[in-house]
Amino acid sequence: MTETKRRVGVYVCHCGGNISDVIDVQKVVDGVANIEDVVVARREMFMCSDPGQNLIAEDIAAHNLDRVVVAACSPSLHEATFRGTLKRSGLNPYLYEHVNIREQASWCHKDDPEGGTRKATRLVAAGIAKARNLVPLDPVRVPVTRAVAVVGGGIAGLRSAIDLAKSSFEVHVIERAADLGGHLARPGRVYPTDEPAQDLLTGLLAQARSLPGLTLHTETELVASTGYLGNFRLTLQGPSGEPRELTVGSIVLATGFEHYQPSLGELGFGMSDRVVTLPDFIERLDPRGPTGGQIVKDGKPVQRVVFIHCVGSRQLEGVHVPPEGGRLYEHCSRVCCTTALFASIELARKFPQVDIFDVYQDIRTYGRGQEDIYEAAARAGVTFFRVAGDAPPTVEIDASGAITVRLVDLLTFNEPIEMPVDLVVLVTGMIPRDITPLIEMFKLPRSPDGFLQEVHPKLRPVEVCVDGLFIAGACQAPMDVAEAAASASAASAKAACLLGGDVISLDPFVASIQAELCDGCGLCLAECVYVKALTRAEGETVPVVNTALCKGCGMCAAVCPHEAITVRGWEIKQYDAMVDAIVATGGHP
Amino acid sequence: MGRVDRITDEHPMNEQKPKILVLATESCAYPGADYVGQIHASYPSNTYILRVPAPVIFPEAFYLRCFEKGIAGIIVMACGHECPYEGAYDRLARRVAVVRTRMRELGMDPQRLRLCSICTVCARPFLKEIHEMDAFLSQATTGSVTT
Repeated sequence: MTETKRRVGVYVCHCGGNISDVIDVQKVVDGVANIEDVVVARREMFMCSDPGQNLIAEDIAAHNLDRVVVAACSPSLHEATFRGTLKRSGLNPYLYEHVNIREQASWCHKDDPEGGTRKATRLVAAGIAKARNLVPLDPVRVPVTRAVAVVGGGIAGLRSAIDLAKSSFEVHVIERAADLGGHLARPGRVYPTDEPAQDLLTGLLAQARSLPGLTLHTETELVASTGYLGNFRLTLQGPSGEPRELTVGSIVLATGFEHYQPSLGELGFGMSDRVVTLPDFIERLDPRGPTGGQIVKDGKPVQRVVFIHCVGSRQLEGVHVPPEGGRLYEHCSRVCCTTALFASIELARKFPQVDIFDVYQDIRTYGRGQEDIYEAAARAGVTFFRVAGDAPPTVEIDASGAITVRLVDLLTFNEPIEMPVDLVVLVTGMIPRDITPLIEMFKLPRSPDGFLQEVHPKLRPVEVCVDGLFIAGACQAPMDVAEAAASASAASAKAACLLGGDVISLDPFVASIQAELCDGCGLCLAECVYVKALTRAEGETVPVVNTALCKGCGMCAAVCPHEAITVRGWEIKQYDAMVDAIVATGGHP
Repeated sequence: MGRVDRITDEHPMNEQKPKILVLATESCAYPGADYVGQIHASYPSNTYILRVPAPVIFPEAFYLRCFEKGIAGIIVMACGHECPYEGAYDRLARRVAVVRTRMRELGMDPQRLRLCSICTVCARPFLKEIHEMDAFLSQATTGSVTT
């Protein structure tokens, strides 16, 4: 159907060796160079790099290209990059077609390089076939609401909300609990600044309350969301019980984490009030905590305290037993090593007579200045024992309440150790919070560890697959306070960029009608489920698409007997052309 | 239709394996296929994955045209109940059922067309679908389809 001459440029990326180690990229280039309308076909080490993009720009200028095909990684990573290259070169960005030969070819056909090369060649040919059928498109522009909803009022939510309110956005913090602050509201001090968490929170709250346009909704839940990027219509359920509507342009999810709660009997937990979790211990160390800062046994200060690491972290099948209906937590919670060492320094400072033991698998003090905390703990007299992941220590509590910890110490070449202790601190990990209703509401992807998953840690950090939605803080992964704040600031910056203008550009992939082909049968109108997305004025034959309301699902296109209605950018004839390229008999016209 | 018959393949007759077309949804199955690559799991290379916002866009005739052109098997990898488009999955399921009935009438094995749901991290179900279709097509003497 495309008899118009096109001028197509084709670029095949090596991706370092990610693609070219498996796929013979020169063969792919040679294989497609003679396809009709292909003016240039090249390969390049990194197409996404400046030299790669410049190559396209130069070819557009020198060869008057009007369609571009890049075969590289998944379109989720660089489709937008190359659309931008076209735009900067004066071409409509939708005259671009992206072919995925990394995730869906080189990485999955390592054992079959010849087959992978053949497949890549055909996929590129299909991309060219689609490109020849592309037409210039203009993004759909819709007005935006300059307001952001932040779900969760802990450190990440507050940090994000303050940043946004300072940039003059209307911000709504939606917190399920009666109090703000989340885990930060508990007594205890935080590293690296060694300040009381509650002071940090008080400062943040004072700032939040002073900012015009920032509203804190406590005892409130987000129960429904409709709409899209730029205009989400949210339903909130507040303490009054009356549902409330709110329209925002973007949403930041800062729903946080839960502390791992050991099961009854796990390392003596629940069998003695002298087996406690690390968060509870930190509370007890604080003068504002439940014990007024005293750590006692039978009214006397404790003498021997042991910290046991990796409780609810790095769990192994066959070694650890998940609770009924629960799961194993195989991830490393990262934060707990430094937190435990920091707490042990405080313990040593306050109670110099205490003997402190630390039972670990690996000390992971990964962040800036954290190794200093490890060294300070060693200097403070903490005695370290190292155990294997598949041989965790045991905690025994006898009838008199005496506690004995047994382990095999790798630092002394497998010496069995048996030590009576007064207090056991279980260094518990961070686990994903159950936010199933939100996950279902927005169809959010989760990593295998259960935390929310960003699109790409380097290329699209804090973004999720739902446009206009960002994730901040420990809902994404175990993080400490500083990291959660940094990620929250990243999320708020991205939201601010999105909502910076009065209008927002949405992909133009919506239904479009070729009036001359339409006979007014109305089948499309009957098929469309979206309110007012497709309408027909009285007395008219041809329906009209409301581009802001059409979702581009294509239900209408499938039932049109004349192919008068299509979805822009995803037309049936483009798919037909791609299939033709896939089945074409290579070299045998 | 534009001429696409000039693909120069060094081994033009090499690819004897029946071709599988995978229509994968942009928000679930396509990222799911990416995930399979990210974990470096392998599957047969006679699989051609095309990205589509919602496969409900394809009319019945499209599937039959694909078979006619020489595609041996089609797997529609949808989002299932996670479908971001209201009512689209049910319509798709009905349409695929209609196509399969039509295939039967035309003397084609309806197993050459499959519909499944693949999520963004559904590596195992993805591989299972591909391997099953590949095994089925390798066994079946599908021959050329004349309709």
